[in-house]
Amino acid sequence: MVADGNTPAPPERLWRNPEPKRNYDVVIVGAGGHGLATAYYLARNHGITDIAVVERGWLAGGNMARNTTIIRSNYLLDASAALYDHALRLWEELPEELEYEFHFSQRGVLNLAHTEQEVRDARRRAFANELNGVDAEWLTPDEIAEVCPILDTSPNLRYPVLGATYQRRAGIAKHDLVAWGLARKCDEMGVDFIQNREVTGFLTDEDRVVGVRTDKGDIGAGRVGLAAAGRTTLLTDTLGLRLPLQSHPLQAMATEILEPVHPCVVMSNHVHVYTSQAHKGELVLGAGIDTHNGYAQRGSVHVVENQLAAAVELFPVFARAHLLRTWAGTVDVTPDASPIIGPTPYENLFVNCGWGTGGFKATPGAGWVFAHTIATGAPHPLNEPYGMERFTTGALIDEHGAAAVAH
Amino acid sequence: MTVLNKVESETAAPETATAARHSPLEHRAAELERRSTSGARGVRLHEEPFLSQINLRTPPGGVESSAVSDSLGLPLPTVNRVSGDEHHAVLWLGPDESLIVAPDGRAEHLLRTVRDAQRGGSGSAVDVSANRTTLRLSGPAAREVLEKLCSLDLHPRSFGPGDCAQTLLGRVIVVLWQLDREPGYRIMVRCSFADYLVDLLLDAMAEFLDG
Amino acid sequence: MLLVRCPWCGDRDEAEFRYGGQADVDYPADPHQLDDAAWGEYLFVRANPLGSFNERWVHTAGCRRWFSLVRDTATNEMSPDIPRRRESR
Repeated sequence: MVADGNTPAPPERLWRNPEPKRNYDVVIVGAGGHGLATAYYLARNHGITDIAVVERGWLAGGNMARNTTIIRSNYLLDASAALYDHALRLWEELPEELEYEFHFSQRGVLNLAHTEQEVRDARRRAFANELNGVDAEWLTPDEIAEVCPILDTSPNLRYPVLGATYQRRAGIAKHDLVAWGLARKCDEMGVDFIQNREVTGFLTDEDRVVGVRTDKGDIGAGRVGLAAAGRTTLLTDTLGLRLPLQSHPLQAMATEILEPVHPCVVMSNHVHVYTSQAHKGELVLGAGIDTHNGYAQRGSVHVVENQLAAAVELFPVFARAHLLRTWAGTVDVTPDASPIIGPTPYENLFVNCGWGTGGFKATPGAGWVFAHTIATGAPHPLNEPYGMERFTTGALIDEHGAAAVAH
Repeated sequence: MTVLNKVESETAAPETATAARHSPLEHRAAELERRSTSGARGVRLHEEPFLSQINLRTPPGGVESSAVSDSLGLPLPTVNRVSGDEHHAVLWLGPDESLIVAPDGRAEHLLRTVRDAQRGGSGSAVDVSANRTTLRLSGPAAREVLEKLCSLDLHPRSFGPGDCAQTLLGRVIVVLWQLDREPGYRIMVRCSFADYLVDLLLDAMAEFLDG
Repeated sequence: MLLVRCPWCGDRDEAEFRYGGQADVDYPADPHQLDDAAWGEYLFVRANPLGSFNERWVHTAGCRRWFSLVRDTATNEMSPDIPRRRESR
């Protein structure tokens, strides 16, 4: 279940590094997971292959390289459950479809409840999940101990574990391999990846976007899709288009490589811990966002300290592990903790942003609906509720309030 | 739920109420005594329970502040400073906020004095004696102990006798007040956090146990 | 770890503060005159610049006062000026 030694040897080349053409049918900004998946489903579902994915750094080197790889779909609200479970079903078929083993491991996720109120909220969410066709179980502390023996389920903790929801289909995947598998297939279908080229703005013809400006020259585009996460507003600001996004540092950390000790994914909103053991054997832990805005890809020590104190309380064996690395990405957070996926007031410009701390799990689902939106000019039924107009109409998808989400 | 605000009684509390008082850390008094050390690297910790504390809000620089100051017989403190001594002091808490600290039993008298001085002006005076208890940490190693828990620079060049600060010790908000050069400190902490803070301090003191 | 300069208490560890986001976002003078789009923008949209940002902090573990300072969101450098002492509202 953990280290299996079957990681494929990297082939010599997974994608070309072409010089960009002057024009493409579609330009995607950002070669992270969502940009790659969007290009993939544009080609696979819509037959659009004249695509450039333009990336300021290297392919999958931003948040795709920095996340904690958790995949789950046990969200409370109908719109969220539909979108995330669609993504989960795509994850289940993607390794075969991409002919690429990226270690999607459905080892299950426990979402712990530590107070009576959390118990009520969690059970409500489990019932809602069942109604939405999302697998969910409620476990007692004894049942939790069977699933994850290293978790302290004794009543002596400051915040004892009173129960947990359990989604068996949830799990983790190896993030780099996901990106490489998608990139390889896209490349085979003719998609160009343009790395080390930063999109700095847009070419416009009145209210119509006709291409992108980059630090190395303009590229014409029939349609432009933004999948730029924390840097989205830097681009939309150039058009005077104001989006309800705030960019924050989000930190994660890993220990040295250990024998398999941690069999599943454990998340606790109350003490704020989420952790799993990577395939190679590192314990991977994620922190909450640093509260201040920031693009530094660096967070503060006290956030990590609080995270580790809570983790050691829940998992006494973690006290013997050594923290080797901490790092941070830049996540774009919306007021309702749900993404924005849809058209913009600018013709031919589409945005997929605001995934906050939880974008990785949605990678194929986001790509699927964003590709549909770009190809047809209108949202897919699954992302219809996720347009930016919800911040005017008030029809928010308030996963913050509903589930106190830590993604 | 209805909460009725009741005007504070001006009459003295009956003797029996005083006799029944329990301080937040009285159950740890023997332990604190046992874990305190003397000598060149000694450090001592004990509780100073029931100090009288009045939270004072006064518009800075106004007539009210000089009236209050006159009534107390102490100038109001400047930023991050304490005016007076450990028996009768005013601590700076913020630009228009101070804390009067005096021995047990003085709260009612102080309250009356300050409110008389404030009459006709703006400001407030509230008895917050039950809000915090006080720990006294002293001895040659006291600063080293505090430095394990506190992000302030406590070196004498930047924090000395008569200085005070509201800050974090561990994860608890405290009022930290240096009394003398030994050094000795008062640490004023909310009653419900006092046990946690004592745990932290005793842990930080452990290395000095065998002097 | 950021060192934040409280205009009252001086330089303090970031852990003593809470963040308040963009500064100088005033309540609309006449909210009834705003249409839904303008109201939504007031409620939900804040600047998110890369670089200099004028922002609010509150010294929760200290003097509990709100104040504004200018910080670079890429480097975390803070303006060397004493932050403006703006009273709490």
